[in-house]
Amino acid sequence: MTVADLNTQTGAEQPQRLQLHRLIRQPRVAVGGAILLMMILAALLAPWVAPHDPLEQDLLQMLAPPVWAQGGSATFPLGTDSLGRCVLSRVIYGARVALIVGIMSALGAMLIGSALALIGGYFGGRIDRAISYVVDLWMSFPPVVLSLILLVGVGTGVDKVILAVVLVDWTRFCRVVRADVLITRRRDYVLAARLIGFTHLRTLLREVLPAAVPLIITLFSIEMGVAIIVEATLSFIGLSVPPDVTTWGQMLADARGDIQSALWVMLVPVCAIIVTVLGCNLLGDGLRVALDPRLRLRGE
Amino acid sequence: MFQLTLAIITRRLMAAIPTLVLLSLVVFVVLRLLPVDPLATLLPPSATAADSAALRAQLGFDKPIPMQFVIWIWEAVRGNLGNSINFHQPVTTLILAALPATVELAGVGLLMALLISIPGGVLAYVLYQRKREAVADVAVTLLQSVPSFLWALLLIIVFGVLWPVLPFSGRVGQEVTLPAITGLALIDLLLAGRLHDWLSALSHLFLPALSLALSFAPMVIRVLRSGLIDAANEPYVEVARLRGLSETRILWRHMLKNAVLPTITMIGVQFGFLFSGALLVEMIFGFPGVGNLMVQAVKANDMPLIQGIALLFCLLMLTINAIVDVTYVLLNPRLRSP
Repeated sequence: MTVADLNTQTGAEQPQRLQLHRLIRQPRVAVGGAILLMMILAALLAPWVAPHDPLEQDLLQMLAPPVWAQGGSATFPLGTDSLGRCVLSRVIYGARVALIVGIMSALGAMLIGSALALIGGYFGGRIDRAISYVVDLWMSFPPVVLSLILLVGVGTGVDKVILAVVLVDWTRFCRVVRADVLITRRRDYVLAARLIGFTHLRTLLREVLPAAVPLIITLFSIEMGVAIIVEATLSFIGLSVPPDVTTWGQMLADARGDIQSALWVMLVPVCAIIVTVLGCNLLGDGLRVALDPRLRLRGE
Repeated sequence: MFQLTLAIITRRLMAAIPTLVLLSLVVFVVLRLLPVDPLATLLPPSATAADSAALRAQLGFDKPIPMQFVIWIWEAVRGNLGNSINFHQPVTTLILAALPATVELAGVGLLMALLISIPGGVLAYVLYQRKREAVADVAVTLLQSVPSFLWALLLIIVFGVLWPVLPFSGRVGQEVTLPAITGLALIDLLLAGRLHDWLSALSHLFLPALSLALSFAPMVIRVLRSGLIDAANEPYVEVARLRGLSETRILWRHMLKNAVLPTITMIGVQFGFLFSGALLVEMIFGFPGVGNLMVQAVKANDMPLIQGIALLFCLLMLTINAIVDVTYVLLNPRLRSP
């Protein structure tokens, strides 16, 4: 039995349920969550939702306007690009890469960053100094520059983009979570756990980690947005994925040439990126407020 | 004061030397993982294995990696970063030609960001006071969700296509030649007294700098508002109120001064963000800066150039951190005692 279990038994279950309730009532969590859910559904159901194959070219229908504009047809609800590809289908399929990169890299960065933060913050001393030094070193690189260099080194592809983002962004988790762990490890209940005879590992996982979880969840949500932007950036340059994979960044790069004649081709992926990142940020912000009692009181 | 400033900068930069060497090592090793042969573009298709080996030897790629690194660092210290494979020019020449444009862009971008975010931060704080923080929060979160390269595209759509009032390609108009004094177009053209050309340079700089500023401003607004909220609880605010100063005066003259301190630290930490943004913004606007050069180098697998620019970016980041430290000391009298 952990010290936290003791709390639960003395009637802490009630507030916990309340907290879940409060989470959903937080408008930012609700809106952000809804946006992300919608995007995830679109990505998962892409083959059924998208009206066309994202790579299918209809050279008779180049730069067809969207359905509401003059000359638009319901065959291509958001029009077509310069190769006659359906913009709606492309943006739906693009969500797949964006979300895979967003979720996987946030997960990777979270695992590496939080693990190192827990170890460094909990044990302190030489290990902590070494980890902090590496974090500082890493942060001396402008993030996009570092991911570009990494991509040049490891090559292109969705998996490589994820690797690059993880290797660049684990420091965000590490720095913030470490600061939190430094405070937690001085708490009485952590000391109590050690006095009962918990091993370091058990104390870390059962007592220190749970205290950092709200922070980690918040960072995860925001990191997803960051990763989606990085992926769009890299595929915009043309470094992220092979041409037969559709991404939002690629759509932007393709649309640049037709900006004078066909604005919508550019605006659709722009909106997709902004809305998705907004969803991540709203969710992260909402969670930060909802999960942190100090901020809740301050109304921040 | 001046001596102190100089001392801090020197100390910081000296302390940064090991960091710089380590960072170069990281870049060096990562680039050696390269799956494609960076020399492939240098050789004609008919080249034999012997030709390739000869070229390798000539460029030093045949030596073991630690040896290559030592040679590279030794040459870098003496100001020689090697030759670009793609441009057939010394890396230092290419970088020095592109650097002023980036410095100018980042500088003007930062200035614009401050012009937006200082009133923005105060507004966000006032809204917070009036219990209307939800409005400010949502607006800031929305702004924060738009990265600089999307701002660049959006600004081009608005001011270049829908309402074509501003140029969105290059650094100055094609008919303008830049005098080479400092390399900063705005300063050089002013020194040369060419007002018309100066306006051309300014109008070319406007959209790229605004793209950077718009993506940077929300972060500053957040920190500034947070700083103002903290400042509101300080005793000196109450004292000022008792002295009968108006709320506006307390806010702008007293609280803002204190709230600016954490903001400056944040700007220093996030400056890399500005450079990252400059990379794509420069590419989109065809702005001949270091970011643009980096994108071209990366596309061409131009190892010496990538290495050189990476080193430059790290050097810039470390210098900026040193400058931020100094500004911090200068603005905060409590830290000024020697």
